[in-house]
Parts: sequence; structure tokens; C-alpha cells
Amino acid sequence: MKIIAIITAVLVFVSLYLVFGYARIEGTMLEVQKIFYYHVSAALTVFVAFGVNCVFSIKYLIQRKPNDDLLAVAAAELGLIFCTIALLSGPIWARYAWNTWWNWEPRLTSTLILWLMYVGYFILRSALEEDKRRIYSAVLGIIAYIDVPIVYYAVDIWQGGLHPDRGTKWSLETTMRHTWMVALLAFIMLFTLLLIVRYRMKKTQERYEILRQKHLAEAS
Amino acid sequence: MKIIVSISFLVVLGLFFFATQVPITLTSDEISKAVSEASSEFPAADEELLERALELSVAKLEKGQSTRLKYLAAAYFVIWLVFMLYVLRLGQQQQVLDKRLAQLEQTSDDSPSTPDTE
Repeated sequence: MKIIAIITAVLVFVSLYLVFGYARIEGTMLEVQKIFYYHVSAALTVFVAFGVNCVFSIKYLIQRKPNDDLLAVAAAELGLIFCTIALLSGPIWARYAWNTWWNWEPRLTSTLILWLMYVGYFILRSALEEDKRRIYSAVLGIIAYIDVPIVYYAVDIWQGGLHPDRGTKWSLETTMRHTWMVALLAFIMLFTLLLIVRYRMKKTQERYEILRQKHLAEAS
Repeated sequence: MKIIVSISFLVVLGLFFFATQVPITLTSDEISKAVSEASSEFPAADEELLERALELSVAKLEKGQSTRLKYLAAAYFVIWLVFMLYVLRLGQQQQVLDKRLAQLEQTSDDSPSTPDTE
């Protein structure tokens, strides 16, 4: 874990240096385009996080191991954090680029729906009892993941949106592409690190609950 | 934990402001030099007018850049704020959990009916 933490810290600082000191300033949006590096990286990390949630939800439904549920919920929580980042940094960029804070265009709308679905995931978890909670939230996690490819392909499915084509990020100028790749790697490492931290915390929390129940049973 | 997160946040914020402070500054000497170069190419041009046009262009560029940097700073500030609040919340939860576990272990030790697990 220490190694992952060190690698993540180094990557984050290197990516910051690359964003502000190495990447060329884009010709149309000038400095504002630099929001791209963290905004797009956060958005792609959302797909990874919800992907992890979906995989471990399926695994839980097949094997019924509580640890899979803990990993799924930790990944969903982080996915929601990264999605919040993408949804908050996007409008700031949009205000400059599109002259509006929000637009009901396909990618923005489908991303907001994705965010709302995972908010629903946590509401569901808090509303159900222990035995039902895991199964129902695993099912919802799998269903909610269907929105991820919709978000990704939104610009192709519904033409005429404000977001650029999917291939734009791969046709960037060399310094910009390198910077974005390092930023994306930094975000994925940050997600991995936080996932481990959150999973361990959840495990400790569960151990505490078991101990508490045992203690209460002994006391009575 | 809180101290580390706060320090790293401040370092990142400082680095950010350091890296984005690239004002368009033209000294009066540079403006005069540009005006004399332009008037040597076009002797009929009015030097005062040229100087004014140059100053206005620089002011416009500076204003545009200042606006863009504000958007950039706001976006990165929001990103780091979300991370910082989340990590601080994690730290707080961990502290509460540690405290509860310690309390539970203590009550288990105090209770005569509970066997010693150590």
C-alpha cells in the first residue's frame, strides 16, 4: 500500500507539472483547455470505478462472499466522488467554452443520470436490512452500469451534442497527449489507493459490528 | 492525516498559482521600441496612435488571460476541494471507528464473563 501511495503522489505532482509547465497551450481555448486533463481523466476513472462495482456485484451474486460486496460498495462510492468531480469541473469549462453552465446535451444528461443512479444505490443500501441490502444493491449496481456505455457513446448515438467526438483526445498534439496520459494514470492510481483504503475501512467496520453483536449477545 | 492532507492541498494550490502566473507584461521601453520599429517601416504612421493601439491591445490580452486563468483556477480548486473533503471525511470515520473498537475491547476486558482472547 505504501508503494501505491508513493507512486500516486509522484504521479499527481508530475501530472500537475506537465499540465502547467509542459503541455502546449491550445490555440482556441488557450489556458482554459487545461481543465481537460483532470476533467476527462476523472470522467474515465468513473467508468473504471463503476466497472469494478459491476464486476464485484456479479461476483457477489454468484459466490455470495461479503468481501465482494464490500469491494463493490467501496468502488461505487469512489465512482460517485469522481463523477461529482467531472460534473463540477465540466460546467466551469462549459461556461467559458459554450457560454453556459449547463446544457441538456446527450453526454451531460446521461452523466447526470449515471450520478443519480449511484446516489440511488446508496439510498437503497441505507434503506434495506443487512440480508437484502447486499443482494438488491448488487442487482442495482449491475443495472446502473448499463448507463456507462451510453455515456461513452452518447456523442455517437445522439448527433449534434456539444461534446467533441470520442477520438479527439487521441488526436491531441504530442505534449498534450503525454500530459493527459500521465494525468489519467495518476487518477487511476489514486482510485486504486482510495479503493484499498476504503475497503480496509469497510472491513474494519464490519469486524466492529460483528464484535459488537457478539458482545451484546454475551451481555444479555 | 488532517495535517498531511491540508499541507498537500496548500502545496498543490501554491504550485498551481505559481505555475499559472504568466502575466502579459510589456514595459514602456518595449512599447516604445515596438512603436519606433513600426514607424520606421511606415514613416507616415502616427506614433502616438500606434502607442495607444498597442497599449489597448495589451490591456485586452491581459483581461482575456485573467478571465481564462480564473476559470482554470476555479476548476482545479473544485477538484482538489472534493478530494480534500473526501479524504478528511475518511480520516474522521477511521478515528471514530478506532475509538469505538478501543471502547469495545476495553468493555470486553472489564467484563468478567468474557474470555481473554489475547
